[in-house]
Amino acid sequence: MPRSKIHVGLEIGTSKICMVVGEVKSDGSVKILGVGQSKSVGVRKGEIYDFPQVRACLKDALVKAEDASDVEIGSVYLSVTGSHIHGVNNRGSFRLPDDESVIAPAHVQEAKEIARAVAIPADHVYLHHIIRRFGVDGFEHATSPVGLSGKTVDADFHVIHGIRSRIENQIKCVREMPLDIDDLVFAPIASAQVALDRESKERGALVIDIGGGTTDYVLYLDGAIEASGCIPVGGDHITNDIHLVTGLAFSKAETLKVREGDASADPARSVGVIKVADDKGFAEAEVKRQLLNDIIRQRMEETLKLLLRRLPDGAMERVGTGVFLSGGSSLMRGFGELAHDIFKRDIYRPEPPELSGVQANFKDPQFTTAIGLIRYAQIIEAEREPKRGFLRRLWPFSK
Amino acid sequence: MIEFPRDPQNTIPSSSVKIVGLGGAGTNMLDRVVLDGMDGAEMLAVNTDIRTLSGSVARERIQLGRNLTKGLGCGGDPELGQQAILEAEAEIRAALKGRKIVFLCVGLGGGTGSGAAPIICRIAREEGAFVVVFATMPFSFEGRRRRDQADTALNELAVLSNALVTFDNTRMGDLVLAKQGIHEAFAAADRMISESIKAVIRLVIRPGLINVGLDDLMTALRTTRSRCLFGSGIASGKDRAQKALRNALNSPLLDQGALLRDAESVLVHLCGGQDLTLYEIELLMQSLSKHVPDKAHVLFGAAVDPSMGESLSITMVSSLPEDRLHAPRTASMERPALLEPTVGFAGDEEEEEEEPVAVAPTPVREPVREPVREVVREREPVREPVRVVEPAPVKKASPPASVAKAIAAASLFDETKPVVAEFSSKPKSASALVEEEEVPFAEPEQSPFTIDRNPANEISNDEDFAGKVEEIVTLRSVSEVEAEDGFPEMPELDDAPEEESPAFFTIDDEEPAPEEEPEPEPVVAAKEEKPVVLPGVFDELDDVFAGMEDPLAPETPVVPVKARGGKGQTELSFEGGPRGKFEGGSPSLFEGEDLDVPAFLRKKR
Repeated sequence: MPRSKIHVGLEIGTSKICMVVGEVKSDGSVKILGVGQSKSVGVRKGEIYDFPQVRACLKDALVKAEDASDVEIGSVYLSVTGSHIHGVNNRGSFRLPDDESVIAPAHVQEAKEIARAVAIPADHVYLHHIIRRFGVDGFEHATSPVGLSGKTVDADFHVIHGIRSRIENQIKCVREMPLDIDDLVFAPIASAQVALDRESKERGALVIDIGGGTTDYVLYLDGAIEASGCIPVGGDHITNDIHLVTGLAFSKAETLKVREGDASADPARSVGVIKVADDKGFAEAEVKRQLLNDIIRQRMEETLKLLLRRLPDGAMERVGTGVFLSGGSSLMRGFGELAHDIFKRDIYRPEPPELSGVQANFKDPQFTTAIGLIRYAQIIEAEREPKRGFLRRLWPFSK
Repeated sequence: MIEFPRDPQNTIPSSSVKIVGLGGAGTNMLDRVVLDGMDGAEMLAVNTDIRTLSGSVARERIQLGRNLTKGLGCGGDPELGQQAILEAEAEIRAALKGRKIVFLCVGLGGGTGSGAAPIICRIAREEGAFVVVFATMPFSFEGRRRRDQADTALNELAVLSNALVTFDNTRMGDLVLAKQGIHEAFAAADRMISESIKAVIRLVIRPGLINVGLDDLMTALRTTRSRCLFGSGIASGKDRAQKALRNALNSPLLDQGALLRDAESVLVHLCGGQDLTLYEIELLMQSLSKHVPDKAHVLFGAAVDPSMGESLSITMVSSLPEDRLHAPRTASMERPALLEPTVGFAGDEEEEEEEPVAVAPTPVREPVREPVREVVREREPVREPVRVVEPAPVKKASPPASVAKAIAAASLFDETKPVVAEFSSKPKSASALVEEEEVPFAEPEQSPFTIDRNPANEISNDEDFAGKVEEIVTLRSVSEVEAEDGFPEMPELDDAPEEESPAFFTIDDEEPAPEEEPEPEPVVAAKEEKPVVLPGVFDELDDVFAGMEDPLAPETPVVPVKARGGKGQTELSFEGGPRGKFEGGSPSLFEGEDLDVPAFLRKKR
């Protein structure tokens, strides 16, 4: 009997490091045991540039997570992100030998191999090979066509790759904790596991995770991944913008952004002046609300437009469900309006529904990715499980 | 009390110098000299062809072979030329009488030039003048016969004249682009020769503060049957010392400076306006020392000529034995001289550091490594560094003892000897010098030019700054050699100053260090800073030092990026805008835009 397994998801983000401990019960439900979170220093645009600092913060998060969940953490699922990560679709065709007409697993494997062999730059390494769909003689199948008859087998893959050294460095940083890494996951893939259910994937959905340093996105169409990627612009950039344009200190800009920022471009909400107070309560500076909102809006708008450009042509029209926003920066007031202006779709802020446990955390879109990792882990495990069960049935003697 | 008029720069009266243009080409050259303006010398045009003679702008004209050729040329026959001049010998003798220096400009290969030149030379020597011959050789396409005639005449001239400067017309291609008109080519050649003449005249007429006289000239051109190497450059404005040197080395007669490597003695004369500084002299001699071999005898002279105004001119005269003249040419092809791309940098004294890597850099550099550190740490004046820097290719730092010996040796074996050429040797051999000057010269008529008139102020002058000069020289040479490593050997440099890193980053690149200050300390400090702060070359260093540069310019983050970009060649400078928190990191480029710069600001542009 599959025991309840414990998975840990680790996200090293630009603004926070978050470790989530979850338990997958025998019936398939996930319970969050505990969350360990610490402020992240030494990460910029999603990539680690100061290792000792990150290690220290990681340690902190690890200790908190272990404390909260009362579990000794030995291995994690690590989410990676960075602008160097790209997702490409590739299709591989395999023509069956003349004498065979039934597709065997070997043929499917062959097609998969061909599909996976995308030409990637020399310093890149594969992160994911995600099967999108199969095809038999041009006709699409969602699942593996083993046992069907046909002449050619197509396999459509979405391949995600990134710079080897950067990924390896991230892995190294975690390994030195010491922590093992169960799997590497590209961040939006993890988020999508939580944000989307099967139906939304079928109808087409776009998941955008706007974190502190990066904006990750993944697009599902017809039940399969169509596009994914990362834009190295995040909440930090908004704060930086405010800091540069208004001349306020960075920390002040941050509080200003969180408390007063509005991305909706609604003139009614951009009236007046904001007084920025310093520690003692004296008014330090005055910032026009209009200016602040302009700065925020332009930055976010540019980012979203860039994202839109990155998607394949005509993809947005096929998105049926809408756009799912997650990540800390998506909490910005009026962001929904902005996203709607650009994408012209329904905007959702996902809430992970079927997770039990301490609820307050999960409503917060900041944890979507980390929780998504648990979900991803669950799915991966589920894929592996049947094989073991199958074998068990064949070999009743083995345990 | 006896009144003794002391003229620190004794000028030779203009009646002592005569420039003679012989033959068609010679008169052309002379015309160019006249048109460019030459004070202090008389001009004489001598030719058989009356037409060209009357067309010449020289003040004096003598026609050769009045009866023989009857106003026509010699038709390319040197025999005729010889006879023609013998006919006019008396006139010529009269014209040359009493002159101390005679410059003879002649184009060899034809009749008048090749035939008459040796005769005139002989006449001038007989009259007691010092003869410098500027001769051009015919084009190679003019044929074998002309070449042979020219060679014959050249050989005779080599024996008869005191100094011989040849210019091969085929090298004219070096002066001008192949496509330019022939008029321009000839004009360029003439101009070059006239520059040379003027430079030598300036050298001789105005001995200057640091004297160099005819005897020095003769030492420089000592070897018999030698060809003269000649380079002169003039420049003004910023960085004029380097530019002038570069121009001088560029001269085709010097074959881009490569021929200097084999020279045994080099006469260097600097002439500048009132604002000529010791510092510039230092600079120049330092750079020059790279082109000249270690054991070469450098005769140095400097003069201040108010009429020079803002410009600085350097004249280099040397000689090579004939056989070595041709051999090294092939060698020089393999190793083209490296002239430094100095112009165009923001800092003032940082330019001179970009020296061409000298031919034998490694063996020279290693021994200097140690002394560099010593000098840097202790900053002890004179004694220590002088000895230590010995191996460096700085002529002036060479031990005074050997120089004195060289001088002594020279005085024993030569008719003339270099007087007061090396000012570094002065303190030690000053006494020796006084003695040497008493020894009579080979040509007693020349004594008015030379220094025994004012040995007293000579030495006193030099003693004043010799001590300082030594110190400056050595420290400068030391730091210069260190800094010279800046470009090709960055890692080496990084090791040396690491112990002193705090010192280096205190001074900003942009701070213009005073150029004229001969004080060794701040100069040395500033110079040593510079080689380390060349961060543009390495990107990693950029990231590491990015934090250091920030405090210098917090308001305008664009500036440090630009300063780095100006020096290093590998870093692009993004003038896109301020990047605040992301300053110093690699930019995120999307379709040509740096995403780290606020969208608000980018949109505004």
